[in-house]
Amino acid sequence: MGKSLRLVVAVVVTCVVAASGLAITYGATKDRIAEQVRLAEENSLKEVLPDATEFVDAGPDVLAAAKTAAGDVDCSAVYRAESADGVLVGWGLLVAGRGYGGPIQLVLGLDSSGKVTGVTILTMAETPGLGTKVKSEEWFLEQFKELPEGFGVEDVRKLDMVSGSTKSSRGVRSGIEAGGRIYADVLSGLSGGE
Amino acid sequence: MGEWIKTFKQGLSIENPLTVLMIGLCATLAVSTQVQGALFMGLAVIFVLTMSNAIISTFRKVIPTEVRIPIFIVIIASFVTIVDLTMKAFLPGVYQFLGIWIPLIVVNCIILGRAEAFAYHNKVGLAVADGLGMGVGYWFVILVLAFIRELFGTGRIAVFGSTLLTLPSGYAPPGLVLMFPGAFFIFGFMIAITRAVSERAAKRRKAVAS
Repeated sequence: MGKSLRLVVAVVVTCVVAASGLAITYGATKDRIAEQVRLAEENSLKEVLPDATEFVDAGPDVLAAAKTAAGDVDCSAVYRAESADGVLVGWGLLVAGRGYGGPIQLVLGLDSSGKVTGVTILTMAETPGLGTKVKSEEWFLEQFKELPEGFGVEDVRKLDMVSGSTKSSRGVRSGIEAGGRIYADVLSGLSGGE
Repeated sequence: MGEWIKTFKQGLSIENPLTVLMIGLCATLAVSTQVQGALFMGLAVIFVLTMSNAIISTFRKVIPTEVRIPIFIVIIASFVTIVDLTMKAFLPGVYQFLGIWIPLIVVNCIILGRAEAFAYHNKVGLAVADGLGMGVGYWFVILVLAFIRELFGTGRIAVFGSTLLTLPSGYAPPGLVLMFPGAFFIFGFMIAITRAVSERAAKRRKAVAS
């Protein structure tokens, strides 16, 4: 009994010390990590919607409707992009299509008529040098801007893929398609006036 | 002191974790596509290895043999998580590249292997020397590998956004270099060269001795 008690005490003490060490590290870094995530998101939003100055969360109802419209593609945030005087200039969407190495988190900018104003990749876990070509081959993300207003799946499918990274290209494409669906089902009704 | 230096040097040369012991290769081949990533991967390994060796060696007399492995893993995982959180907070760009490979240092054979084979049986000073030596040995090899792969796989070396070295524009980088098969080929050559050099050195020592 004495011996097994010693084993238990040794493991418990180690775990308690380790946990406190981690708690301290977590406390010291968590604000900075949250800040980094927010900053990356904000920079991407500004990049895809250069006309907007304010990004306002569109609220839980819109997000829930967007999630339904996106189907199997994950949509984690919808932002109303507004100009300095509060006029709606477009929508910022955070969508994640499934790539080769995991979700490809996209920031998609749409103007109020449903045309793509820009796409950037926030995070991805694609094979460096192969799947990451969807980002480094700049024409690939640029071409989505050529999509017509209120584009649908068949418009997206006409575009080119990056050779050597078919699965990653498909991941990006599914994110864009979801963006089109979200606009058609949810955002077009909210864009008003047009 | 002499013993300390000898232990340190062993990790670099005759017991190099990558080219001689050949452990911890999975993460090495995965992250060695980029010099900048390899640089920080190496630093992370040095930190975790040295710290866990030091702690395990300090408490080696009170860690019961029966539960040593779980205790080692808890200690190693704690240091890895510290690295993970710190990198996420201060080097988001690097963290994005290294991604899953940082948390996976927990199960890297080099670290658990050194804890079990060395730190648990040796004095603190020597355990630190072993951790540093093994870590620097790892760092050196992964940097060389990443240098070759980035240069010949992408045609240039870029660190923190600035290009340090570019191959002539006529060079079309073969994608193979960046893929796993390419890593195996290049790493195979590196092992062969290491072997050839150490065998020649051994032969020369023998010739001098006789």
